Amino acid sequence: MSRRVEEATLWMYRGIWGVLTRWFRVPSEPPSLPVGAGEQVRSFRPANGFLRYLKFKFWMALVIIDLAILAAWSALLIVFPVIGFLLAPVAFAIAVLPDVVAYVAIHLRYDTTWYVFSDRSLRIRRGIWVIHETTITFENIQNVSVNSGPLERFFGISNVTLDTAGGGQSGSKGEGSKSATNYHQGMIEGIDNVHEIRTLILNRVRHSRSAGLGDEAGSAGWSPAHVEVLREIRDELQTH
Amino acid sequence: MDLDARKIERPHPSLLKYYAIISLLTGPGFLVEFPRLFFKYETLKYRFEDDGMSMSWGVLFRHEINLTYRRIQDIHLSRNIIQRWFGLATVAVQTASGSAGPEMKIEGILEPEKLRDYLYTRMRGAREVDEHPQDEALALLREIRDLLRAKGQS
Repeated sequence: MSRRVEEATLWMYRGIWGVLTRWFRVPSEPPSLPVGAGEQVRSFRPANGFLRYLKFKFWMALVIIDLAILAAWSALLIVFPVIGFLLAPVAFAIAVLPDVVAYVAIHLRYDTTWYVFSDRSLRIRRGIWVIHETTITFENIQNVSVNSGPLERFFGISNVTLDTAGGGQSGSKGEGSKSATNYHQGMIEGIDNVHEIRTLILNRVRHSRSAGLGDEAGSAGWSPAHVEVLREIRDELQTH
Repeated sequence: MDLDARKIERPHPSLLKYYAIISLLTGPGFLVEFPRLFFKYETLKYRFEDDGMSMSWGVLFRHEINLTYRRIQDIHLSRNIIQRWFGLATVAVQTASGSAGPEMKIEGILEPEKLRDYLYTRMRGAREVDEHPQDEALALLREIRDLLRAKGQS
């Protein structure tokens, strides 16, 4: 029985995806990055723990909200039994319908999130209604921070935040806290191989020899070619 | 690169349709919003050059933004449902200035991915810069080394 339900939900979910890709032009393949010869591109989604984490939060919110709806409806039933009885389908619909939508949205959110790494840069895609893609070169990253809450730690996931130069608080312009994202940031949410990703990014950042503010790599200081010639001059002086 | 961004000067006409739809969605705000966006569309001009780009718009209040590709910090491409229907997108370009919002929002380009990759390949860090051809310090150092060598051999 449960297997049949699973198959049916999978089939329905594929149907939703079909509608999304065809009518809402949601790309189903990961974003690409232009790369030079011999460079590798690695693309991945958040960890499975992230999906479980989102679902857990969903069930928690569902229980709380539906209990509140149940309590309100029971109070109504006790005070006005007839109206309460008539409103039962409405209360049921209010309790159930948003849950289905939210549950599907969680899956879609998970399936539309992509992180793409190349040797020089990374690209993050996120979103269903508004698809947002961020491209950052490792050269421009100023700092890398790793955060995880207790619940996220329980599911074994963490978030990596990459900051580029430039200030501004998210939501400081008063455009509504959700829509005003901080554009000087890249968020890699819900991954379980944090240490690997962090060291990968930090190694690349360390290799870059500029401040990440648009300055030329050569003019910022001594390049390896300079040092090489200076060494040769020293050796030349030493031998004579 | 397939896309020659230098040929882009004006936004695609479907941007006006997009503007009409989003101003309709504001309801009564249409009367204020649509003229504003209409004149923005009519006066919007892009110029992509070899090392930088600029955009300008406005009738009463003129705006012009210039920036060089090398100062780009990050590039954002966002598409909402209506934009996806028209094949449009907003390419937001960030420099290291203090504002949280993007410095430049390029709208109404039919091949936004290609434009983004065009900008990406020109921003810093996307390619290896090993040696500057006109590096005077390096040339001087090489000259000194060669002089020393010549002295040592004589």
